[in-house]
Formats: sequence, C-alpha cells, structure tokens
Amino acid sequence: MSSRVKLLFAVFVLIAVGAGLSFYKVRTIGMPFWKADRLYEWLVEAKVSFFATGGKVKARLSLPANAINKSARLDSGSLGYSYFTEPAGSEYTAVWTADSREKLQSLYYGVLVPPNASSGAEPLPSEVAPPVAEIPGLPAEVADAAGRVVAQSKGLSSDPEALFVDFFRQLQSESASQEVVLVRRHYEKEFKERTVIAMGIDLLGMAGVPARIAYGVKLTTKEGSQAPIPLVEYYDGAYWKVRDPQQPEMVLENLPIFVWHRGGGPLLDVTGGENSRVTFTVSREQIPLNKLTDLSDRSVFVSTILSLPADQRDVFRYIVLIPLGAFVVVLLRNIVGISTLGTFMPVLLALALLEIPLETGLIMFTVIIASGLWFRFLLSRLNLLVVPRVAACVVIVTLLMMLMSVLSHRMGFGSSVEITLFPMIILAWTIERMSLIWEEEGKRSALTQVAGSVFVAVLAFFFMSIGQVQYWAFYFPELLLVLLAGILLIGRYTGYRLSELIRFKSFSEA
Amino acid sequence: MSESAEPTTKERPSRWWHRWMRMPSELRELGVVGINMRNARFLLPNNPRRLYDLVDNKLRTKSLAEAEGLSVPETYAVIQSPHDTALIEKRLADRPAFVVKPARGSGGKGVLVIDGRDGKDYVKPSGAKLSGDELRHHVSNILAGLFSLGGKRDCALVEYRVRPAKVLTDLSFQGAPDIRIVMLHGYPVMAMLRAATRESDGRANLHQGALGIGIDIATGLTVRAVHHGHPVTIHPDLGIPLLGIQIPDWDKILDIAVICQEMTGLGYLGVDLMIDETIGPLMIEVNARPGLAIQMANGVGLLRRLEPVDRYHREHPGAGRDQKIAFSRSHFAAVKR
Repeated sequence: MSSRVKLLFAVFVLIAVGAGLSFYKVRTIGMPFWKADRLYEWLVEAKVSFFATGGKVKARLSLPANAINKSARLDSGSLGYSYFTEPAGSEYTAVWTADSREKLQSLYYGVLVPPNASSGAEPLPSEVAPPVAEIPGLPAEVADAAGRVVAQSKGLSSDPEALFVDFFRQLQSESASQEVVLVRRHYEKEFKERTVIAMGIDLLGMAGVPARIAYGVKLTTKEGSQAPIPLVEYYDGAYWKVRDPQQPEMVLENLPIFVWHRGGGPLLDVTGGENSRVTFTVSREQIPLNKLTDLSDRSVFVSTILSLPADQRDVFRYIVLIPLGAFVVVLLRNIVGISTLGTFMPVLLALALLEIPLETGLIMFTVIIASGLWFRFLLSRLNLLVVPRVAACVVIVTLLMMLMSVLSHRMGFGSSVEITLFPMIILAWTIERMSLIWEEEGKRSALTQVAGSVFVAVLAFFFMSIGQVQYWAFYFPELLLVLLAGILLIGRYTGYRLSELIRFKSFSEA
Repeated sequence: MSESAEPTTKERPSRWWHRWMRMPSELRELGVVGINMRNARFLLPNNPRRLYDLVDNKLRTKSLAEAEGLSVPETYAVIQSPHDTALIEKRLADRPAFVVKPARGSGGKGVLVIDGRDGKDYVKPSGAKLSGDELRHHVSNILAGLFSLGGKRDCALVEYRVRPAKVLTDLSFQGAPDIRIVMLHGYPVMAMLRAATRESDGRANLHQGALGIGIDIATGLTVRAVHHGHPVTIHPDLGIPLLGIQIPDWDKILDIAVICQEMTGLGYLGVDLMIDETIGPLMIEVNARPGLAIQMANGVGLLRRLEPVDRYHREHPGAGRDQKIAFSRSHFAAVKR
C-alpha cells in the first residue's frame, strides 16, 4: 500500500468514526448538534466524599426543594450503592447505602438550575407553627454581655430584618463594642471559623427571632470545587427567610447564590465513614440534562468525557480547545506560511489569552516582552552563561509582572490583569528565544517571528472562543478525529504557501 | 531519451499582480519548488531521520570526509569541556588565524572568525578586537548549546581559517564567499555562490542581503546574480561585474559534492564548499535541508532539474560517479554548446 493510499484510508476511517459517532449521538440520543440560543443552565453537582471504615455505610445528603420538583437530577459515580430519596419537611434527602465499604468513597448528586429559576431562598411558611426562638445556654458573664447587645439593638428596632442586619454588621465590624468582643471571644473557642454564624443565630434567638443555619452554593464556574457557603435562615413572624451573613442587607434573590439546604437539619450525615465532607462544582451546561444523563448511561466509547463527574469533566473545557489551536497553527504555518517562534508557542499564547481579556493580554504581552528584551540585552553585556541567563530572564519577567499588576491596580484597572502561572512561563521563554534570534538573525527576523506568533495566537484565540466551536469540541469530542483527519491532509499538502507566492514574485527565468 | 531539461526560454507576459505576487499556476509552470513540496517530495522520502546526525554534527561529517580522502579545513582543537575552554588560548598559541564554530550549529550561527592577533587580543575580519575572556565566553556559550539545534549541549570546533581564492574574494564585500551545490541522488542539480555585501555584514545569508550568484553546472561559470530576489549584474558595493566568472577547480568541486552524497547516504542535500587560495576546494559542511533561494540565483525552478534526475535515477539505479556528473553537465548546462 503506498503511503498515499494509507493516508487516505486513515483519513477516511477517522472521518467515518468521528462523524458517525456524532451522527449517532444526534439521531438516537437527540443531542442538539447546533448550540442552542437559550441561556446557560447551571449544573450544580454535590460531591460527597468520606473514608469508609469497612462496615455498613449510610450517607444522607439533604437536597434542595426544587431539585425534586423539576425532576432535575443526575446521579453519577455512585456505583454499587443502593439509592433512594425520602421527603424531609419541605425538602428531600438523598440516601445512599452499601455494605462493607473501605477507603475513599465519592458519591455525586447533580441538580440543574435554569437561569430564571428561583434561588431557593423564597420565604417559606413554618412547618410547625409558630417556631419558638431558642435561648442558648451561656456562662453568666457572657450571657450578661450578650443580653446587653440584644437590648441595645432591640432599643433601635425590634423588626426581625433590622435585627438581623444589625447583629451581623456588628459581628463583622472592626470597631465592635466591648460586649460584642467579649461574647465573640467565647464563641471563637467553641466554633472556630463558624463563630459569626453561630453567634448571630444565638443573638437572634435571645432577641426572640427563631434562626437556624442553611447552606448555599455560589453560581460561578470560576471557583472550581467549592465548600458549601453557610447562610442563616430566620423566622420573621410569618415566613422563614434566608440571608447571607456576609452581606446582611442584601436580599438573597439578587445574589448569585443557590440555596441548597434549608430547615436547620444537617446537610450531610454519614454513618460508617470518617472525614466526610461535601463539595460543590458548578458548571454551565448547554444541552438538556436528560440528554446528558442519557449519554452518561451509554458505553464509554459514546459518552467519552461526558460520563465523568462535573468536577473532572470541567478540566476538559480548556483541554479540548488545544487541538483547535494546533489546527490553526498548522493552517497558518503550512498553507499561509507565517513564521512563528517555535511551533506551538502560539497555541500556548492563545490559551493564555483565554484566561486574560484579549486587549489587556496583548498590551501586557507587548510591554513585558519589550522591557524583558531590554533587560535581557543589559544582561548580555555581563557575559553570563546560557542557563543563568535564562534563569535571570525568568526572575525579571516575574518582577515585571508584579510591577504591572501593582501599577494597573493603582491606576484602577482592578482585577483585569489576573496573572496565572501559565502565561508567565510562556513570556519568559519567548523573551529568551526572541533575543537569541535577535542576535543571530537580526532584529527584522525576530520581530517578524514575534509578530507572526502573536498574529497566529490571536487568530487561534478567536477560533477557540467561537461558542459553536467550543460546543462541538466539548459535547462532541469525537469531532476532534475529523480535525485530526484535516491535519493529516494538510500534512501532505505539497502546494505553495501563500507567503511563497510573494517571496517568488520577482522570479524570472534565466 | 531526449529529455531536454530546460525548455527554450520564452518571454512571459507581465501581469499587474506581479508587483505583489505570483499565481500558484505561474510558479508551477516555472517549476518553482516550495517548502512543502521540498519537504514532502524530496526531503522526507530520501533523507532518513537517522542520517541527519551525520550532517548536523560537523565532527562526524568531517571524520567521514577525512575517511573518504576529501579535503576539509584542518581541525586545530575540539573543545568539549570547561577544562578545555580554560586551556584554549594555550592550545591556539601558535595559530594566528582560526575559526571557532559549534559542532551542531546551523546557518552560520555562532561562527567566530579570527584573522590575526594584536598583542594579547584577537582580531576579527572586520577589525574588531576580542579579548581572551571574550573568546572563552563565546566557547562556553557554544558548549552550553546556545547555537545548537534544539539547544542541546554541544562542543566547539576550532579549525583552519580558509583564505579564499582571490577570484572569489573579489566578488565579496568582506566575508568569505562559499559555494552551495544542491544534490539529488548524487546528481549535482544546481549551484550557487553566496557573496557578502555591506548590507549583509560579512554574512552569506541571502535573506540578510547577501548576493546569490548562480553557477552553470556544466562549466562553473557564473551566469546570473540576484540581490533580494532581483537580478543584478554588478556588485552593489564593489561595482565589479558578477557574471561570466570562472569558478576555479570546478571538476574537483563536482567530485567533492558527489562524494559527500555517497558518504552520507542522504538523497537530497546541499554541500557547502570554499576554495582556498593554496589548498583548493574544501568541504565545509553538508546540509540536509538546503533552502530554496538557489532557484532565484539561477533563475531556474528546481523542479525542472529534480524531475529529470528522479526519472534518470530510476532508470539507471547503479549509475557511477562519472556518469552522474556527465548527466548533470549535459542536461543542466545554462549555456547550450
């Protein structure tokens, strides 16, 4: 078989497998092939993890009320456990049981929150009417001080909302009164980081306002996996309401917080396991949840990364974009003929640009490269050896990044310059590489190559940030096989590059 | 077989777009080879990866050439360790002129030419002086891999400073002109002389403004010269005519080129030579990825010559050295006799 036939065969197989799988997913599962115009839905996935001690295991996780109403659930990764939900007041509880488990266990429960859904913080009527405020048992001295704090606040207003705001403001204030400090010291010993919540609930109780703890999740994809946010639920005489003690004035409906658990009971209860905890991962889903559930029930070959729990799957949102960037680089280098610094430096730069806004990214890149290069030439006068020189370059880039962050913060650009580890390595490496080319091939060559790299990186960035492209790469990862086929075909392209049409423009026959 | 390699030259109409570019169809008609075609059709099938180190490492190329009895610049020293570096001045004490180069360098990177001494200092051809410290620092950089392909650790080669024949130095503004011959399957396909200009600063890289002077394979006469891709007939700095100059020892040069192909086993390669005033042609290096500028210097698309060679090679797989040279000389003559 000639290599040409082999290539065409490989290309055919790759396209057949990639397109075939996608077609199957669209036809039989009904995954939408085109990105829908509707808004994102939030997928909030709770991960319960604990160390099983070897015997019978039972884990109970309280579930948000709307999770059941909208039958929005996705149960994955909890293999070998028998599972059911039981109603508990206005809420539900997920119960997993299994015999003889050992080592680290992970259980998952996902809830889909539509963009216009309620945050779960709406006022609820009391289950047992009316609830009675609990008076905490405190040592006499502390109880006395607490009583004075309550009396002082009640003197201003006895409205439950006003008391709530007043207590939590005082608790978070730097210049709290002596009484507050005294009481807080007592609570710190017992509750550690939960001091504010516990003390606020008790103060409300002493003021005659029933209060209890609730838990929420921040609806943002930025935090990765997050711990439950403690909230406070209080009874205003007619309804139970939820507020965030960090922002006591705000009504929770306007905050990007989804209330997962209300009613005062424990969020998680594990018997037969130690070190149990709940973490939440929030991701944005662009396909209906029942399709996702359907997909993750299929074989691994079909579901691929979509069968992973949300926290592991989200890593791939960036990773699936790398082949797309590589494709752009291949296209621009082999067909257009743009020269770049190294082969995949532009892909890395484009990935860095995905993390920083484009304009700030480019300005930062230019400023740091230019000043880094200048320092690099100062260093070259010292006749340093290569490795120390590269290391010195890294140090200088680090310092420059610090300087830029501080300056942009001072000048009020705020958090627009978020620097991660990743761009920093690329920058240091680019400076070193560029200064070498500068010395060896002249500044023209160095500037062309850097400009070429940036140009390719920006194009790759735009390609990678097209919503539809991201959608295909993430929900139809098998389409990357089709991309691979395309790259293989370009690999055999023997025609002229666009740049060569210009290079040979004055070619004339002798 | 009467495969006349070069069809009779005919005037091609000039088009408005020629100011900016050529159409792919036009280039194809001219037989111009692009990078993609060079790589896919000539480099990849003919140059096995494992042979690359033979030519990427000048030490290995030189020892191969010496085994074949080819003349190469005499090696004064090979510096492989910081210890050698410390002793470099002592070892070169009785050598007034020498060249330091990285064994794995490419494209003339890291080559340092010393023409003579001035007290304790070393003098470069441009007249600039270099202290012993600076010389050692340059060597350390070479050892650290600053100039080598992929930044690998390297060793430095100190060798004879070629004194180019006068006929060649006359064509060059400072710097030493070298001759590049591109070969396919051992057939010399195209040749050019690269001469420095003031703009190229003693370097022989065409894209830095050096002159590319096409050489007739049959006779060794210069037939055409280009500067930045445009044909010229006189040297832009020196004002002397560039065409019709006989390259000395042309027969010997073609022999050396063919032997280089035989000893390395690479199917497609470029051989770089210099002509020393007293010793004659010297093999400098072999390049496994020769560039495409040679087409501009000769005004001939490489495909015009590579295709006949490919065909002839398939029909006469066992052709000897003399047969190959005879084929090239008769088919690729620029001046029809």
